[in-house]
Amino acid sequence: MTAVGLRATAAYAGLAALAFVMLFPLLYAVSGSLMTTQEISTYPPAFLPLHPRLDNFRDVLHALPLPRQFLNSLIVAACVTAGQLVTSVLSAYAFAFLRMPFRNFVFGVFLATMMVPWEAILIPNYLTIADNHLINTYPALILPFLAAGFGTFLLRQFFLTFPRDLYEAAQVDGLGHLRFLWLILVPLSRPALAALAIWSFLSAWNQFLWPLLVVSQDQMDTLQIGISRLQDVEAATAPNFILAGTVLALIPTLLLIYFGQRHIVRGLTAGALKG
Amino acid sequence: MRRQPLVGALSRATGRERYSARETATAAAFMAPSLLLFTVWIFYPLGRSVYLSLHGNDLFGRPARFVGGAQFQELFASPSLREAIVRTAAFTVLTVVPGLVLGTLIALALQAPIRGIGVFRTLLATPFAFSVATASVIFQIFFNPGVGVFNAILGLIHLHPVGWLTNPATALPSVALASVWLQLGYNVLVLSAGLQGIPAEIYEAARLDGARGLTMARRITLPMLTPTLFFLLVVSTVVAIQSFGQIHILTRGGPAGATTTLVYSLYLNAFAFGSTNYGLASAQALVLFAIVVVVTALQFGFLERRVFYR
Amino acid sequence: MKRIAVLIASLVMVSACGGGSPSSSGPAADETAPAGKVVEVSFWHSFAAGANQDATNVLVQRFNDAHTGKIHVTPAFAGDYDTTFSKIKAAVQANQTPSIVQIYDVGTRFMIDSKQITPMQKFIDEDKYTTDLEPVIANYFSINGKLDSMPWNNSLPLLYINRDAFTAAGLDPNKPPATLDEIRADAQKLTKKDASGQTVQYGFGAAIYGWFLEQFAARADVLMCNNGNGRDKDATKILSDSPQLVKVMDWWKQMLADGLALNTGRPTGNMQTAFKAGRVAMTLESTGVLGGFISGSKFQVGAGPYPRSEASTAGGPIVGGAALWIMNNGHPAYEQRAAWEFVKFLEQPDSMAYWHIKTGYFPDTKKSQEDPTDVAFRQTRPQFDVALQQLHAETTDKATQGCVLGVMPQARQANEVAMEQILASGASSKTALSGAVTSIQPAIDQYNQAVGAT
Repeated sequence: MTAVGLRATAAYAGLAALAFVMLFPLLYAVSGSLMTTQEISTYPPAFLPLHPRLDNFRDVLHALPLPRQFLNSLIVAACVTAGQLVTSVLSAYAFAFLRMPFRNFVFGVFLATMMVPWEAILIPNYLTIADNHLINTYPALILPFLAAGFGTFLLRQFFLTFPRDLYEAAQVDGLGHLRFLWLILVPLSRPALAALAIWSFLSAWNQFLWPLLVVSQDQMDTLQIGISRLQDVEAATAPNFILAGTVLALIPTLLLIYFGQRHIVRGLTAGALKG
Repeated sequence: MRRQPLVGALSRATGRERYSARETATAAAFMAPSLLLFTVWIFYPLGRSVYLSLHGNDLFGRPARFVGGAQFQELFASPSLREAIVRTAAFTVLTVVPGLVLGTLIALALQAPIRGIGVFRTLLATPFAFSVATASVIFQIFFNPGVGVFNAILGLIHLHPVGWLTNPATALPSVALASVWLQLGYNVLVLSAGLQGIPAEIYEAARLDGARGLTMARRITLPMLTPTLFFLLVVSTVVAIQSFGQIHILTRGGPAGATTTLVYSLYLNAFAFGSTNYGLASAQALVLFAIVVVVTALQFGFLERRVFYR
Repeated sequence: MKRIAVLIASLVMVSACGGGSPSSSGPAADETAPAGKVVEVSFWHSFAAGANQDATNVLVQRFNDAHTGKIHVTPAFAGDYDTTFSKIKAAVQANQTPSIVQIYDVGTRFMIDSKQITPMQKFIDEDKYTTDLEPVIANYFSINGKLDSMPWNNSLPLLYINRDAFTAAGLDPNKPPATLDEIRADAQKLTKKDASGQTVQYGFGAAIYGWFLEQFAARADVLMCNNGNGRDKDATKILSDSPQLVKVMDWWKQMLADGLALNTGRPTGNMQTAFKAGRVAMTLESTGVLGGFISGSKFQVGAGPYPRSEASTAGGPIVGGAALWIMNNGHPAYEQRAAWEFVKFLEQPDSMAYWHIKTGYFPDTKKSQEDPTDVAFRQTRPQFDVALQQLHAETTDKATQGCVLGVMPQARQANEVAMEQILASGASSKTALSGAVTSIQPAIDQYNQAVGAT
């Protein structure tokens, strides 16, 4: 074998080993979800099911309204993403192109919101939700997250990279702010918007503590809470059952990552990093 | 393209400018939705946290009586705050550093000029599809000291079983292990994107200057990657400090408090086991806020200067 | 202008995302039952999924079918026991409590002090209803002989054994160990190592669960908190550092140190899996897991009474579980009566027998134990009769009534921290248990102060 061939083989072997290690939790989850309770409770542990069966999936779907919870997560994440895109585009535009007194101070205020840990304001927000009788509703899961300091920051940085002439030419042409924003800026900023959308969507999708607090009905739970509830099942805590629920919850995001990866990377390259 | 350094953006003097009333009004209108939402969901609650932190609670957690700084006194007097801060710092280091180092190594490996590398790139991003909850329940099964996969693997190579989550000494690193794995998917994606963004001409020029292998990595690749690394550092630090789900699912802050970070301690005081000590929890929340502000400011103040912006 | 319209449309969409929602119903203030209208009863329970939730739903359905046009019960999972407890406090703040809520035993004192409930005894007296509860169960949930709640899903702890492992080790599986010393002696025979010195089977193992510590106290006939376990007057101190409990923890720690026991931490599921996999030959668990053990393991499952730490046979384990509470604030009298009808339905012999068979929880009433379906079921589960015999043999005194304390959930948590310090960090039993007593003291003081103030 030539030196080049040898190197390529070594590279494949190394990468395959690496991929196996990184994928192991997924592989085990799929394998375990096909086992019986007896099979998964053996020692030393079994890695492959002897007689793969789909009963666990049926049981999980029967036990928890996972499709409904998936829909809840989807609605919440989509609304949060849309909201953050709109509010961030508007405020970022103002910071990047418009002059007003105390602009830098106000921008500092926007940045400060990024640094407020959600946990630090959890209790008062919880009380606001409870006082307004919003427990167990979509607004409880969505309203607090419709604006994002991070989104404003990211888009402002991106807008600033456009030559100022562009803005001034638009002014001369009598193009209004919103039309300039919509016709020129938004189309040019698609990568940055994509990066923000991915970030917003995933942070909303992964929320845990907040939905745990403001929802107390399994019909209104998000997927993440539903998954963690698989462990609460008294006296029925069987790993195969939990893994089946996990695999079901993973399918949509796995598809997104595996098939949408090129777009995600493009978004990340253009937006978050160089902006 | 050039990113405005955060601090620079703030301190950049704008000079005396004449403002058009119309433009000011437009700008205010554009900012209004965000400002309104921030006021309701961030600034007002911050104020309310201060109010709650100065009061004791009744049975249901409602502020009952003014106690002044007593909650803060109790907080600072007990060793648990200091311990929680130390644990939070340790957890942050244990997740952020391996996450960045391993992420960079994997991203570099994925630059290998071989056919089908795209498949590997896709596969290695897998953890990105996991949420905190899905990753944690799987790792919980791995960590089971009696029948778990990790101890079984140790047994295969004739090593003694490890207590993972049941031993206070290994619990925090074990939770960090799960977190690093989870974070790696995102890090690999972002770092791969960063590496692909380095123009080929720069490598070409360096090669003409005689740079090879490690020199190339140290002189060209890493400096060019610093904006990406800095971005990930800031983001993953905030994520680590605010980690909740994996601790809640894997250890509930145990054993013997070994994984009770600041956020988890706050949760224990305010919500867990029927506790409704919102006053003490709010005081903790304000301490947490102060810490995040300081850490972020330090990162921008000290590190961003070393970041190489094109 | 079209662009502006698009922008406005997107803003509207955002607000629609926030605005379109199922509206929540406000509390009813009317005290008179509406004529010809179905009375809605909301019911919060803590069964996430699986057999327990299924059985709950079946019973609710049976009740609703029998009361068509009059009462309609809507069950909702509110979170695990701790979450439900937190949520009921939040619901009180927000004036959005359910008609009926299932609260774990350790929440009893708080529920009474909250003044948000109508004592069950009021309905019992009004209807001259006979509860027919097992005396031990009635005692546990009664204060001064009065029931504030209705015990519903209850269980007893048992010592479960792997019968096959007992036989293989030359032990008699029909004679499970009764004391800690006997467990140790048997564990020495049951612990097996492979050629490389790794332990393949441990003699014993139990989850780090504060409930077990409370059980050991009751089994030894000692109090868990002062003032007669909070039965004489409000408890002001917990007694986790009693010599009997120090002895139990010393024993447990030594079992681990000698490699005779396995520690799988707090999650009870971890230990259940370890037992089912044959990794531990004896474990402590509630009667509730019996069905799961039998179906999930390849060996014969046996059971014995909860072990004693003392020579004396006085005392006995506490009945654990949860009870149903009828909330008063915002719930008119007719709704509370409707809730009471549902509670009575759940206590009927046939409902209780069904509940027992499907979930493994205790048949709380004597009539339900005599129900033919229950008798037939118990013949297939002789292990369960061990629990029944254990219950009937029990002396009832303040120690076996268990501690009622407003902050009992936090006290249990403090005990679990102490257990972890002893079993995992090597702390001395006395120091760690005393530490639990001290650490919970401010919470007890604040609670008693808050109750006194209102």
